[in-house]
Amino acid sequence: MSTDKGQVERATGEGTDLWRLITAPTIWAVHFLVCYVGAAIYCEKAGRASALLPVTWFVAATTAVALLGLGLVFLSLWRVRGFSVVGGDLNYLGNTPEERHRFLSHVSMMLCVLSAIGVVFVAMPAFMLGTCR
Amino acid sequence: MSAPQTSLSHVDQGDPEVRRGQEERLSAVWATPKGWRYWTAVNNSEVGLWYICTAFAFMMFAGVLGLLIRVQLAFPDNQFLSAEAYNQTFTLHGTAMMFLFAVPIFEAVAIMILPALLGARDLPFPRLSAFGYWCFLIGGIFVCGSIFFDAAPQGGWFMYPPLSTKQGGIGADIWLLGLSFIEVASIAAAVELIVGVLKCRPPGMHMNLTPLYGWYVLIVGGMILFAFPPLIAGDFLFEMERAFDWPFFDPERGGDPLLWQHLFWIFGHPEVYIIFLPSIALLAMIVPTFARRPISGYSWIVLSAMGTGFLSFGLWVHHMFTTGLPSVSLGFFAAASEAVAIPTGIQIFVFVSTLLMGRVTRSVPMLFAMGALAIFVAGGLTGVMVAVAPFDFQVHDTYFVVAHLHYTLFGGMLFPLLAGIHYYFPIATGKMLSRRLGIWSFWLMFAGFNICFLPMHLTGLLGMPRRVFTFPGGLGWDWLNLISSVGAFVFAAGFLVFVWDVVRPKRETDAATRNPWKAGTVEWMLEMPPKPWGSRTIPKIESRYPLWDDPEFLTKYDEGRFYLSDAEEGKRETIITSVLDAQPIQCLRVSGPAVITMIAAGMLGASFIFATFHWWWLTIIATLGAMAAIIFWLWTGTAQHPEKAEKDIGLGSLVPLYISGPKSTGWWAMFITMTGDLTAFLGVVFGYFFFWTVHEQFPPGGTTAPGWQWPLVAGVLLLAAWAATWGARVVNGRGRVGLARLLLVAGPVAAAAGIAALVAGPWFSGLDPTEHAYPAIVWALVLWTALHIAVGIVMQVYCLARSVVGHMTPVYDTDIWNVALYWHFMAFTALVTTLVIGGFPYVS
Repeated sequence: MSTDKGQVERATGEGTDLWRLITAPTIWAVHFLVCYVGAAIYCEKAGRASALLPVTWFVAATTAVALLGLGLVFLSLWRVRGFSVVGGDLNYLGNTPEERHRFLSHVSMMLCVLSAIGVVFVAMPAFMLGTCR
Repeated sequence: MSAPQTSLSHVDQGDPEVRRGQEERLSAVWATPKGWRYWTAVNNSEVGLWYICTAFAFMMFAGVLGLLIRVQLAFPDNQFLSAEAYNQTFTLHGTAMMFLFAVPIFEAVAIMILPALLGARDLPFPRLSAFGYWCFLIGGIFVCGSIFFDAAPQGGWFMYPPLSTKQGGIGADIWLLGLSFIEVASIAAAVELIVGVLKCRPPGMHMNLTPLYGWYVLIVGGMILFAFPPLIAGDFLFEMERAFDWPFFDPERGGDPLLWQHLFWIFGHPEVYIIFLPSIALLAMIVPTFARRPISGYSWIVLSAMGTGFLSFGLWVHHMFTTGLPSVSLGFFAAASEAVAIPTGIQIFVFVSTLLMGRVTRSVPMLFAMGALAIFVAGGLTGVMVAVAPFDFQVHDTYFVVAHLHYTLFGGMLFPLLAGIHYYFPIATGKMLSRRLGIWSFWLMFAGFNICFLPMHLTGLLGMPRRVFTFPGGLGWDWLNLISSVGAFVFAAGFLVFVWDVVRPKRETDAATRNPWKAGTVEWMLEMPPKPWGSRTIPKIESRYPLWDDPEFLTKYDEGRFYLSDAEEGKRETIITSVLDAQPIQCLRVSGPAVITMIAAGMLGASFIFATFHWWWLTIIATLGAMAAIIFWLWTGTAQHPEKAEKDIGLGSLVPLYISGPKSTGWWAMFITMTGDLTAFLGVVFGYFFFWTVHEQFPPGGTTAPGWQWPLVAGVLLLAAWAATWGARVVNGRGRVGLARLLLVAGPVAAAAGIAALVAGPWFSGLDPTEHAYPAIVWALVLWTALHIAVGIVMQVYCLARSVVGHMTPVYDTDIWNVALYWHFMAFTALVTTLVIGGFPYVS
């Protein structure tokens, strides 16, 4: 972990707020609902014996969009890449808006990772089953 | 009370005379009322204490019911309880533990300690907390009391139809209406706590310095807003079916019992985490104190609490694995149920690593914390097992699930809570609990719990189903049940030791010294015993553990060298800060003792209780009484004009005494309440589309009733009412008061006409709500929207009246800001309702 002065003093802005914090998990939630509702409606209307293939493609497409969204959010937060202003670590003990921004950016970025894992988890069943039964 | 001073006293904090004067004024302003008026108190330290005691009283009541269950099941073919008495007993055991203990105790503890953790004098809406408490007390007594009249609900704590829609008696109605009423208290608490964490942090407490308990409270408050409303929507539909025969859950008339299961578990599963997170939050405060080091991985805790909060909404169908849903649906929910173990596990690892990296001191709170972790890990692991659908098929509705859920609740909620009670007891009472009794009670409870519930895993795997009032001998269940029953009583003995420790008369030697645990967080700056004013002065925060990091902190606190060290004007005050970086933006005057909150809660409670017995006239009278009380409360207690525009709060900060719009606490409260309300509305809309999904043809027979014409008229009128309200806010702010009043006359007229048009559609097309689920759900949407618009009309007229008498002016315009915000939500509600009922039949 670097405590290099140049890095610590690099201004990263103050923009990350609580809305940004919930962006990634919200993408997970929307992905989850779209997959579940889409599959439920399809299976209810098409009958239990029907092949699941359309659902598989639908889930694949939704998952691709969700992962793309999470990737974009991740990249925007990656640009901050700010260790703590005061400690050069991930403890974020400083008392400035800049430090709060770095802290929230770090947490939001980690939530992107968690949400991506969640998205992949949720997508898996659609690839493992063959019918609506 | 000494004469109000207008001169600034806080410029000379070095003078003991000045400080004594300040303390006298603070004492007078924050004094707890005496005599019977004690019960009119609204301060967080009183309301929080009542709340905690009441929740524990309900818990002990439900605990006795649990013991009755264990007595009945101790031996095969036991005759101790009849089948019906047993059904009432286990239903009320689960209901009371969940709704009257587990959720309210979170609100209770948070109301009690959150202001201290934030160095605030009180939460922003003390009367709302008191109102919520009285609602909780009345509703809880009503629900619990029913068993003494042999009238308790007996359909299980989740009230599944068709059993509970067909059951006679008023048990199910008591459950539905009693709990709906208590949900009012939960949402009130959520509003109070979210605004508390976002806006009442002390100056300098940036989001990254906020105590972890604050983070958890914020997340759980948000979860309540999305979890409880679907249950309110479900209760609304359910009670309409029971009282008026609208067949939402009756398959013979197009309804579907599974709709209830969805609405119930969309609430029910997040609720488990709503219970778990605030309790684990107590551990996040306790563990660093006794590890004698800062928490290792603060940001990981925030991330995992947030992740758990979200993922917990993707688990609800795992309670419905055996209802015959398509495998792919089960798969989605099984996957999410496994995924939630990741953030949950992170929190446990952070605690363990903090302990490993610190130098742990032994104490009773740590004992409970360690016991909690051990039990919770076991419960979490069986949770991962039952999240796997095929395993769940085998153990569904057996005692394995009973064991699992008690392990998660005891480990995730009860033991951390008891750790927290031991830890924070000095802040509530100024006394310490006994170390010796604490160790006794812990080991009795820990052993008793495991003796009771560990064998149940096996009982369940051997096939014993839940909710049976007795069982035949010789199936291999006999001795396991007997062991469980013995364990239950050992646990109860341990709990009684704890209760005795709390209520026993305390001696001089039990008095707490200041910061008795040598903690680093800000709440331990309080004097012992704590003063009614809460914080002597509202501190300026520069680190996460100010008591460890700043050796001068306590001296500066004692000398009142921070903010608001005086109450010059004789008013109760606290500081409002900005959301992210906690810059002071307002000195908020909070309300003092009041009877009106009790009257409002009593009236509202009466209306729910009368509705249980279908005494409709009395219900209407009580509802109008409750509205009158609330309007009186708002009129006399809110949005008061301060005597000056700004106040010097110390440390060179000059802040306004009155603000309106998105920076104010009232606006946030409205926004949060309406977010919850919107979720409930979407629950009803979900019902409509759920029926569309499960029916071959919906609306049935291709009907287009109620037609598009009336809904269109209604939509236009209601949007006009919204525009008028919004316009009134804008023009009033620009000083054109006359035009604003005109718009506030036009608004209610358009809204009333809109209600009429909304009702006219289904009315004139002859939709009979008792005939089929389709007309029933259309009427449900209309009824929901119409009632909300009616409340919106009251608000518009309220603003008009405030404007006419001069309470609302272009400068003091918080009323119209908040009402306009309400109407933004109404515009959306009206738009969705009219589009769904008027438009959807043409496109489906």
